[in-house]
Amino acid sequence: MYFKGINSYGDRGMVLDFGDDSSKSISIEVNKAFSIISNLGLPLLNIIPSFNKIVIIFENSQIRDQNREKITLEMSEIKSQSHKSAHKTWKIPACYDESFALDLKLIQKLHHITKEEIINLHTSESYYTYYIGFMPGFPYLGDIPSQLITPRLATPRINIPARSIGIAKNHTCIYPKISPGGWNIIGQIPFDIFDLQNPNPSLFLPGDKVSFYSVNQKEFQQIQKKHFSINELVKEYSS
Amino acid sequence: MNSLVITRTGTHLTVQDFGRFHYQHLGVSPSGAMDQRIIKELEKIIPLHHNQFIEFAYVGPSIKVKEGSVKVCVGGNCNMNIQKNNGTQIMCQPYKSINLFEGDELNIHNTIETVYGYIAVEHGLGLNPCLKSFSTDTKAGIGSINRPLKVDDTFEILEDVSSWDHLSIPNPTYKKETNFKVYPGPQLQFFTDQALQSFISTTFTISAQSDRMGIRLKGEAILSSESHDILSEGILPGSIQVPSDGQPIVLMRDIPCTGGYPKIAILKEKDISKISQLPPGSQITFDLQTIY
Repeated sequence: MYFKGINSYGDRGMVLDFGDDSSKSISIEVNKAFSIISNLGLPLLNIIPSFNKIVIIFENSQIRDQNREKITLEMSEIKSQSHKSAHKTWKIPACYDESFALDLKLIQKLHHITKEEIINLHTSESYYTYYIGFMPGFPYLGDIPSQLITPRLATPRINIPARSIGIAKNHTCIYPKISPGGWNIIGQIPFDIFDLQNPNPSLFLPGDKVSFYSVNQKEFQQIQKKHFSINELVKEYSS
Repeated sequence: MNSLVITRTGTHLTVQDFGRFHYQHLGVSPSGAMDQRIIKELEKIIPLHHNQFIEFAYVGPSIKVKEGSVKVCVGGNCNMNIQKNNGTQIMCQPYKSINLFEGDELNIHNTIETVYGYIAVEHGLGLNPCLKSFSTDTKAGIGSINRPLKVDDTFEILEDVSSWDHLSIPNPTYKKETNFKVYPGPQLQFFTDQALQSFISTTFTISAQSDRMGIRLKGEAILSSESHDILSEGILPGSIQVPSDGQPIVLMRDIPCTGGYPKIAILKEKDISKISQLPPGSQITFDLQTIY
């Protein structure tokens, strides 16, 4: 149990504190709490999980204070609560071709490994979705094999192409759309992972498991041409 | 059919409402009108606003009735007039309903000693919500219209004006506040007593680099004794974060959903609207409340 307690955050927010560190086991507890509290039907405006905190925002201090006890009670029982996880397991096609993998050479040089080794390493793990943040639908996934751990780019790129796969420190990510950013780009996926037209706009949710498999340019283009909707992607690539 | 067209954009023209909630865990910012007091006031004159308000900063837009007629009301402290379709020009005032007919053009010149102003249109702007809100976050490209408004953007309003009666309310008098009582932020302990002392004794100047995402402050550098780089965590509008240059940023409505700078303090919710109206160059101070 990592949960430390609940603190006020301004006049209408609260922070559930899970300590100062980050790890997969901390995030599993964070995301369990996130899922349980989200489903209590409390009158909250936003609930935001991250590595070791959950921030909850209410309309005003009165509503916040009325709900503090309920949340405290839930958190005190969290360890014993059995929670049926609704988390999905994804297998996502990824193309590591040089035309997409803008920083592959840099990583090869840094770690003295071949392109094939990088692909094998990156596709070898099932990653945990720590949380979604930075931009709409952007998943923080991890942890990547230690041989791939790479610092962020010294100078962030102004434009990272949409759907790019990045690695930085012990995490990997997918950029949902074109964006500035400092992650090392090693490939691309053939579809969008965030759709504003869908009431559930994000393909990935905190706690989901995500693994990648390598596809060549031709296979990549074939998938790309299908223009899958979020609902179709769920059917096709998750279990 | 009634329709309105933008004939001049002014600056930072977007559609906003009271905010987009329940999506911040997916990286979607709450957005919404910078000064929520004003759209709340406009509700009294245009109750059928359908949550679709036009927000402008500093320089207002010109909007023209292309077809039919519409009822609008402007909120905020601003100068404006109407260029009638017969060539005459008439003065008009905020917080008073305005009936506009085909060919009439409403020109909003500028906000006076404030930043943001709003237009409410009876029956809304004919838009569909995006993730249950009409607000625009231009940086994330989210909204009923996912970009700033531009010349020739046309809004079709299906319903006709409900009544030509003139409605008005007294101009709300908002006292200009420059001293803000703030609550301790989640990383208050990252700052020494000395740094906190200088945070409350410094007069900060609002920088011109301020926008819907954040109000940047210039003043004595407030340095953290621990780190200026924390693990990203969820943030609320009104939070005052301190990056490594020691110049605080008050995060506003288009906040990044999670942030990795220590937050020394947070404004009261109602003060977010107040601080949004202080133009660059304004001088402000903070008082730290230690008791909740």
